[in-house]
Amino acid sequence: MIEKFIDKLAGFWRSADAAMRSKAVDTASHEVEELEHIFAILVLGAFVGLPAPPIQITLELMTDMEHEFRLMLSKVATARDPLGELFSVLGIE
Amino acid sequence: MAGASVRPEIFFFVGKGGVGKSTVSALAALFSAASGRNTLLVSMDPAHNQRDLFETEFSEKPKTIQKALAVREIDSQYWIDRYLKQTHRQICKTYLYESAFCLQDHFKVLKFSPGLEEYALLTAFEDTLQHVSNEDVLIFDMAPTAMAMRFFSLPGNTDIWLRELLKIRNLILKKKEIVANIRNGRCDMGKDRVKDKIEVLIDRHSRLRDSFLSNATAVNLVMNTDPLSLSEAVRIQRGLTDIGICIDRVVVNKARPEDDVSPISKIFITQKLTVLPFAGAPLVGLSAMQNYLRENISSFDSFNNQFR
Repeated sequence: MIEKFIDKLAGFWRSADAAMRSKAVDTASHEVEELEHIFAILVLGAFVGLPAPPIQITLELMTDMEHEFRLMLSKVATARDPLGELFSVLGIE
Repeated sequence: MAGASVRPEIFFFVGKGGVGKSTVSALAALFSAASGRNTLLVSMDPAHNQRDLFETEFSEKPKTIQKALAVREIDSQYWIDRYLKQTHRQICKTYLYESAFCLQDHFKVLKFSPGLEEYALLTAFEDTLQHVSNEDVLIFDMAPTAMAMRFFSLPGNTDIWLRELLKIRNLILKKKEIVANIRNGRCDMGKDRVKDKIEVLIDRHSRLRDSFLSNATAVNLVMNTDPLSLSEAVRIQRGLTDIGICIDRVVVNKARPEDDVSPISKIFITQKLTVLPFAGAPLVGLSAMQNYLRENISSFDSFNNQFR
């Protein structure tokens, strides 16, 4: 009986902990994502018409930057509704 | 000034278009080879005057002209195409099919990107250094001023960009680690390929810049006695000084007996001065250049202090 209760309590604690951890890092995750966007635009900006570093840096680094490349393309897609994206990150209905 | 024990010694010949950089570098290469040093003359000038001077075709593969002297002609378009093909192949390997497919058209125009030609020259320069076997002396006949200056400043400028990108990358990785640690407890983030690549590139560009600043490298500025040539020579000196490169020697080419070189020696106080007299007849063909060298051997003797 007591063991069941402890198990349930531990389960509840784990779920609450995961939920709290997830909530706690949402803003930090968004910040990381934004930094990755900045990095992607800095290196791959030439592909969306923004000033870029010397072309050889782009070419050397882009071979390992598919993740950032996709992020940048998705950023272009969400660029039409930047406020909506910001509100959803901050949890504003 | 070239050091005593570092092999190979590297000599750049720079200057305004038409002052005779190719001729002077060919004569210096002939002199070096005649002095018993295995010499490779590398034409970095897209105009490729060396083939006209030696009256023979050259290519990327060094061609032996005479004992101890070979000539290589850098084809920047070959290096650009090779580099873009390699990058595209690598992207096809690492990217998903549709991403790589998206980029296909971009690669067709990338070869026209500004800055790619000097990067091609830098890659060819690096390749020349990597393939040195028994050469004692490497002589580079450089492109005219604007391209040569971009070539010399490229490693430094690229290095600045790379260090800034590395800062941002480190910040991203640090924050990613914090997020991962809070979400999942302490965990190993593993290697970041982009960061590793940036560090490799920083190392590579630092080595290239070091090779420009090395004691085994000397930059020779070729000029004529006319005022335009002098004012451009002053600008070249200023530009090179800004990136930490010193001019070792000033070669006054096509000097006539009535020409006064004192204004030049007053400006270039710390540089060695070599005056090469006007040839009279065009210096075309190996025998014409060898004759000129024999007749003016005293002018070239001063190069002996440079070639160790």
